[in-house]
Amino acid sequence: MKNPPIVSLRGVHKYYGNYHALRGIDLDIGAGEFFSLLGPSGCGKTTLLRTIAGFEDPSDGVLLLDGKDMAHVPANRRPTNMVFQSYAIFPHLTVAENVAFGLRRRSDLDRSAKQKMVEESLEMVGLGGYGGRAAHALSGGQRQRVALARALILHPKVLLLDEPLSALDKKLREQMQNELRRLQRHVGITFILVTHDQEEALIMSDRIAVMFEGEIAQLADPQTLYRRPVTRRVADFIGVMNFLPAKVDGRTLEIAGLGRAEVQPDQAPSGMPSGSGHIGIRPETMSVLFEGEKTPVRVADGKVVELAYYGDMTYYQVLLDGTESPVTVSMKNLVGRKVLERGDRARISWDERSLVVFP
Amino acid sequence: MAMSRLARSEAARGLLMVSPPALYALLLLAVPLAAILAFSFWSQDFLTIDFTPTLKNYREAFSEPLYMQLMLRSVLIAGSVTLATVILAFPIAYFVSFHVPPHRKSLWIFLITIPFWTSYLIRVFLWKVILGYNGVLNTTLQGLGITDEPLTFILYNANAVVITLAHAFAPFAILPIFVSLEKIDRSLLEASRDLGENHVMTFLRVTLPLAVPGIVAAVLIVFIPTIGDYVTPRLVGGPDGLMIANMIQTQFLKLNNAPMGAALAVIAMSIVTLIALFFLFLNRKYLRGRS
Repeated sequence: MKNPPIVSLRGVHKYYGNYHALRGIDLDIGAGEFFSLLGPSGCGKTTLLRTIAGFEDPSDGVLLLDGKDMAHVPANRRPTNMVFQSYAIFPHLTVAENVAFGLRRRSDLDRSAKQKMVEESLEMVGLGGYGGRAAHALSGGQRQRVALARALILHPKVLLLDEPLSALDKKLREQMQNELRRLQRHVGITFILVTHDQEEALIMSDRIAVMFEGEIAQLADPQTLYRRPVTRRVADFIGVMNFLPAKVDGRTLEIAGLGRAEVQPDQAPSGMPSGSGHIGIRPETMSVLFEGEKTPVRVADGKVVELAYYGDMTYYQVLLDGTESPVTVSMKNLVGRKVLERGDRARISWDERSLVVFP
Repeated sequence: MAMSRLARSEAARGLLMVSPPALYALLLLAVPLAAILAFSFWSQDFLTIDFTPTLKNYREAFSEPLYMQLMLRSVLIAGSVTLATVILAFPIAYFVSFHVPPHRKSLWIFLITIPFWTSYLIRVFLWKVILGYNGVLNTTLQGLGITDEPLTFILYNANAVVITLAHAFAPFAILPIFVSLEKIDRSLLEASRDLGENHVMTFLRVTLPLAVPGIVAAVLIVFIPTIGDYVTPRLVGGPDGLMIANMIQTQFLKLNNAPMGAALAVIAMSIVTLIALFFLFLNRKYLRGRS
């Protein structure tokens, strides 16, 4: 976080009866940041977003927006605007009326100024000329854009996005991910995105908070999160990671199926365990060696038990000798590269710098 | 060739399927309506009907002040009943839809219908007991010293008709309004709050416009039967509370002038149709944008 915080949470708890939805959230989100709350359903990420918006009151703790305490400030007086998961487009209004909804209270603007703002706003989200359309005549992607225009026209300090892309098909989702990122840089407003899609969070965010059971498990930038997850659970949630048991002696590991390795302290983000632990290794940091390729330092042998051919990639399930469950190894399908078959022996090369050590 | 035979047999089967309800509708709806319409263009000739087509009944209906006065009164009473019912029903429907926990809603709706398990006639009589000269309301008011003598403007006049009918039709107004409120996506209300509007403005700009279809349905459901009601005015209306339906009944049964009664019925139906069409048009306008 480079800039001063625009959103600050200190010890925020939320109870629903006996259910503890948020368990002491401490978080600072910088001005102009693209921040993501990532986690499985029920982890409290939406509750946290709704707390910032003012739709939920925290049971305990402090929420500051732009330095001001938000206790007793209702949603309609907060400097935040939200893009809802369902988009919440008013069905009885046209596109332009939807976008202009929040401008009613701006008495400093006359009608033509408002009209101009609405047009510019629609232009910005790629819906120029759609103002007169009825809301029900829009596609999912267009509704999303209307919701964005309607929120951004008010120049909020923080834009809150509640799983805005989950209802779109894959192609459109990828396109909107790029557009949201571009839009965020263009307007410079802080975006807080709630998502359960780790790929989406990695692509779009400056920083990501991974949440489980009402707590932040890790707060980091996408690269750190992917390369140095602090727990096995975070590692498992972000992309694919293979876990293998290991004996630990100082910085020297004896890994089941892979053999001996030396690691650096930064490879154990939650501290180096003593005695026994686990290592995590990503599928793309291992590769299958083919005949004629030069043999690197670290190799391990095993058998292909299953494979999935994705066109650009092949994912092998390789049972390393001396282990019980297979590891995933991904290989790019380069021109001329052979695809192994089930039952084939495979020699795997790996790199000790790509290991992550967990207790 | 084969195709056309298939189509024909399919059409034939379709006809066969709809014929029982079609026959039923024809006998019970179309035939009586046609009969009323036909009667309205005939005339009564002492004990027999003169089948020569004539506009005499209509001319009389529009020139005789009594008929027009009854017609106007019927529209006014039905209008007041509708207004009172919808204004009272809306808060109840709103409360059940927005402030009752979801698993209790059907129980609440069920409880609302309980008073309507007793017969309509009994409820009308109960209102006589409540509103009467020595009735529950007057004895209470006098007992509490709020009034010195019994109020007389509450029974045997149009007010009594409005009170009784508004009570009788309450659930019919609550239910459609409740349904339309239930259909409102709650995130729309949050979106309105998020965009800077307080509770009151959110109600006026989002909830109310989206409830219009339910309100229109309630208006039609209450207005159409009340304008033709004749039991309530007969029992609690007194001479000043009589409505057009009482006159139609009198024409048919007491005065033995079926053609005149039929003409009044046709005029009453036309007025209802016009008002219903107006509300449907209003509904159409608000339904724009709802798929």
